[in-house]
Amino acid sequence: MTIPSSPPQAAPASPPPFDPELAAGLEIMAELISPSLLPDTIPEMRSGIGLARPSDDDLRLGGAYEVEERSVPGPEGAPEISLLICTPTGMPGPVPALYDIHGGGMVMGDNRTGLPVVLEMAHEVGMAVVSVEYRLAPEHPHPAPAEDCYAGLIWTAEHAHEFGVDPDRLVVGGASAGGGLAAAVALMARDRGGPALIGQLLACPMLDDRNDTVSALQMQGIGVWDMTSNDTGWTALLGDRRGGPDVSPYAAPARAQDLSGLPPAFIDVGSAETFRDEDVAYATRLWQAGSQAELHVWPGGFHGFDLLVPQAAISQDARAARVHWLRRLLAP
Amino acid sequence: MKELAGRLTALDPDAGAAVRVIAYFDRLVEGRAGLEALVRGAAVLAGCPARLDDERHRVRIRVEPDGLRADHDGPADPAWSSAPLVPDGPAAFWLERPGPGGVVEAMVLERATAAIRTVLDRTRGAAPPAQAGDQALTELVVDGAAPEASRLHAGRRLGLRAERARAVALADGAAGVRPFVQAVPGPGLPPGRAGVGPAVPLADLPASWAAARVALRLTAEGTEQDPGPRVVHADELGGLAVLAGAIGPGTPPVPDVRALDRAAASAPWTLATLDAVAFSPSLRAAATALHVHHSTLQDRLVHAEQVLGWSVHEPQGRLRLQLALVMRRAHRGISGRTA
Repeated sequence: MTIPSSPPQAAPASPPPFDPELAAGLEIMAELISPSLLPDTIPEMRSGIGLARPSDDDLRLGGAYEVEERSVPGPEGAPEISLLICTPTGMPGPVPALYDIHGGGMVMGDNRTGLPVVLEMAHEVGMAVVSVEYRLAPEHPHPAPAEDCYAGLIWTAEHAHEFGVDPDRLVVGGASAGGGLAAAVALMARDRGGPALIGQLLACPMLDDRNDTVSALQMQGIGVWDMTSNDTGWTALLGDRRGGPDVSPYAAPARAQDLSGLPPAFIDVGSAETFRDEDVAYATRLWQAGSQAELHVWPGGFHGFDLLVPQAAISQDARAARVHWLRRLLAP
Repeated sequence: MKELAGRLTALDPDAGAAVRVIAYFDRLVEGRAGLEALVRGAAVLAGCPARLDDERHRVRIRVEPDGLRADHDGPADPAWSSAPLVPDGPAAFWLERPGPGGVVEAMVLERATAAIRTVLDRTRGAAPPAQAGDQALTELVVDGAAPEASRLHAGRRLGLRAERARAVALADGAAGVRPFVQAVPGPGLPPGRAGVGPAVPLADLPASWAAARVALRLTAEGTEQDPGPRVVHADELGGLAVLAGAIGPGTPPVPDVRALDRAAASAPWTLATLDAVAFSPSLRAAATALHVHHSTLQDRLVHAEQVLGWSVHEPQGRLRLQLALVMRRAHRGISGRTA
């Protein structure tokens, strides 16, 4: 199977309809969410996110986790980066850890963004979570975000024992832009002989700067994170190089020629979102390269549906699928 | 972007929020969402559990404010905000929080109820819903030849909410069978003979029905001419079920059963006496059950043993008598329908 990477001649068909519960949830949040993010609205969007920043107490999940913030060395010649280290309380021995990379289209968010949901998932399988603060575009274009994330992973693997984490059981993960960066970090770890990751959890990952799939065209002006937003994010990260011939796979993992030798991947995506086709294609290419991957395409899901409408039946199922994958991955 | 995780519960309690509540339920109805999605929407928007309990359509759904379905059978608190589904009807939809609430809560109650009514009318129609004793549905739910989906649908229409149920075979062919949700059906059984099948998942009710019919054949009227238990549980039959399976109305009676028939014809008290002796812990207990003096019982047994041709005083003879009595009942056919 191949997914066309160039725009088709005819206008694409309408996208699949949203799941009814998701559509109703989106209706409620219509005033909060615009499908299209433009470069000049980035500052406004950033401050909107800041309002919902979880506190240390939120991150403790009622005592299930201890939270510690550590400043660790960044990439060579770059500033230090901050890691939020959340370790499960009352767990004997070294525990596996999820190295989490937050989302935000490469331009927004911090290492607390969406973290309570990640912790709830990790709590179900007894994992620690290390969330990295990386520099954001457009102030810090590629390779700053990816290199920050990789530097944090190196430090985490080397110092895992200090906070009760088993360095041989690290899973890298993230949602949206964080999913793209997690895929990039997995490529970097393979190519540079870095930590041997045991898995990569890519939730609706942002993988392809070319932004020209059928799903991207179908979703223009609809739902969450449309083609225009995606162009804003990738252009912030890559500038003029976006969509051109010389984009590094560490910026856009869909550009990687070789997807062999990677840790098992979990990929999920909605059928009604920009990233559908690039995410399905990435899973397909992982299989073609002999790598292991589990792919879920949730019908009628828009981008980030389980975060925006967590109560919907399909969101509950999507979250459960991630937990089930982690449980199988970590099974002794 | 996903990070704008504005929770639905973050609605401001103002007129704008009420407008969005209307839009929420309108979209659910437009998208042909199911009842659970509607109840969930109410729970999430109101921030408290919501429950739908419509006796008329035999629908019961309860959802927590985090969106998780959590049905339970506890009674509704009269203090909760509630609404009927039909004008002047009983309350059928509740927000599990003392009312009256604010503008948003009132709007959630009103719009959720309206949407539920729409979906119920669309999917379950205005036709009279199934009654508990609906014979056609009951036959379907135990019919092993019917597709499983049809049987499960019939079970829901009958209001079977529990995961397990028992088929019950009744002596009057018209009633046929009744599924039960109680662990041990007792008060719910109608008078008369009944064979009770084992509790099984709804999909396995045909098997429970088959076992119930075997059990029914081992029941008796409990009279002098037809002594024995009125209600027999298939669960308790053990090997007797195998025995009953080998014998039917058309099977020629074995010599011991013919001997019992001869004994029954010789005196009106014979069968009841032998049944009491066979299934009582002692002869003294049998005499008490029969309301006769111990010596009278001894006299009767001398007569009965002569007709039978074997002693019922010895354990082996008692077992032979028990089996003969059970086999004699097993020849009984089942009147009426043979679903």
